[in-house]
Amino acid sequence: MSIIVIEHLARVEGHGGITVELDGDAVSDVRFDIFEGARLLEALVRGKDYRDVAPIVSRICAICSVAHCLTSLKATEAAFGVRVSRQTELLRELMYRGESIESHALHLFLLAAPDYLGYPSATALAADRAPIVILGLRLKKLGNLIQETIGGRAIHPVNAIPGGFGRVPSMDQLIDLRAAAQQGVGDCESALEFIASLPEADFCHDQTAFAALIPGEGDRYYRGDQVAISADGDRAIVRAEDYRTLTNEEAVAHSHAKHSLFRGKPFMVGALARLSVNGAPSAAIEAAREHIRLRLPSDNPMDNNKAQALELMDDVRCALGVVEQLLETGVDDERPAPVRPRAGSGTAITEAPRGMLVHSYSFDDIGRVVTADVITPTAINAASLEARLRRTVEQCADRREPEMARRLQMVARAYDPCISCSVHLVGRR
Amino acid sequence: MKPVLVIGLGNPLMGDDGVGPRAATLLATDPRLPDTVDVIAGGSDLLRFASDVPGRERVVVIDAADDGNPPGTIRVRQPTSPPSTSGQHAHHLSAIEAIALLRLIADAPVFLLTVSVETASPGWALSPAVESRLADIVSRALAVASDTQSASISDTPVL
Repeated sequence: MSIIVIEHLARVEGHGGITVELDGDAVSDVRFDIFEGARLLEALVRGKDYRDVAPIVSRICAICSVAHCLTSLKATEAAFGVRVSRQTELLRELMYRGESIESHALHLFLLAAPDYLGYPSATALAADRAPIVILGLRLKKLGNLIQETIGGRAIHPVNAIPGGFGRVPSMDQLIDLRAAAQQGVGDCESALEFIASLPEADFCHDQTAFAALIPGEGDRYYRGDQVAISADGDRAIVRAEDYRTLTNEEAVAHSHAKHSLFRGKPFMVGALARLSVNGAPSAAIEAAREHIRLRLPSDNPMDNNKAQALELMDDVRCALGVVEQLLETGVDDERPAPVRPRAGSGTAITEAPRGMLVHSYSFDDIGRVVTADVITPTAINAASLEARLRRTVEQCADRREPEMARRLQMVARAYDPCISCSVHLVGRR
Repeated sequence: MKPVLVIGLGNPLMGDDGVGPRAATLLATDPRLPDTVDVIAGGSDLLRFASDVPGRERVVVIDAADDGNPPGTIRVRQPTSPPSTSGQHAHHLSAIEAIALLRLIADAPVFLLTVSVETASPGWALSPAVESRLADIVSRALAVASDTQSASISDTPVL
């Protein structure tokens, strides 16, 4: 029996590791170990006023704070029967696009790219190819700027509140955003060429199911109340309030993140899942997909990087489109929709950069939280990633530890795990 | 784009750790500030401002340091050692790695002005020892940004 242990998975958000147990050449066990401390946020919000929930739960993570904030608001508004304005929906979509731009740019250029080009870190990559890193950082800044302008801060937004926004953006701010997004469109073309130039990473093939939110009116991240899961040509639809029939969470001994199984099998969420389930969002993205040689459905988890590059391009174009629409129609200095707390429950599913995110709450009659449940994409992906790590070892003819470790880390990073998000209260009986 | 950029790094909610953005805010409104200098009062993520760096002739980063020196001690260094290649960091690089990255993409001198802290624990206020040094920190930052203090800058590798 031999054991390969990657104690610290580098260039991902949070702290996790990988353990592989081999019996000769046969794989005995592969574990994705998540040992980041549990955040206990679901317990922390119990008894809190509904207005305090989004600011608290967005602290689950700094990278995904918009997703947590807005999913929390969407679930809270569902519980109280609040209908937000069309303008609020557009501004929330814009925030989501901003977060996705920041997250995908950071992941592709600073976390994943060094692997493909044989560098140990983004810093080492910058020493030889600074323009590539600068391109990624410029796109990241665009994402930050959008979040800061609409959400009030680059992380942990304060301006998105139940019913709408505390303050709407000024025309001058939108004009600045338009200029930045216009530059971003060109940067995304360069980014796509860079992704197309990378060598193929082809060392794990494994069919899997994909799950993603069905878009609402073209918005692939925020609107929509149903999830589609597809595998081998079969497709099932799950309503947001029935999310437990999809996720079926269970605790596992080696991880602080629960695992999710649908009909007993793991499934993948994230950029590749969104493209697989919903197709390319436009003819331009479809053409770009062919250009970077991404075939769908894909059985190669490394293709999640290509899918993120396509989404990056779509996000910047859509963000520019929303800004131009707001500039054309003007921004109404509206107040948030009225919120009247009542006893009940609400569930919302959105698409965070790493995949579908679930928030579900129940409230008492004055709007205090009774129960809370948060299921993150990295937790959903944990079982799928573990299965793919096993396949990676099984399909790796080179049994030397450095090569297996390199491949395992690349596959894990392709999932773009956000381990901080994945750990929440784990109850074991 | 102005030729010089000063970035104040730190978390204003963590006591003396917020000295960087506090000093940058004062610097931005200082009448002595030359027209050639842009100032950013940032948070703790230097990468957020990294794309503002290329094209500058000089970059100054003001940051807090828990280095064992008396609180309020000001040091200016020009990091010279090779970048770390450990790759052991997550989305937000450590300040040290981020400065290493900055040096590589800046193609210009990057100066690190550190202020020794007394405490970096939750709280809005700076400690009295650091608060009393704000005027000196701003003056020193102005001097470094204006290239009038190069001779006194040590070449100590800090990365």
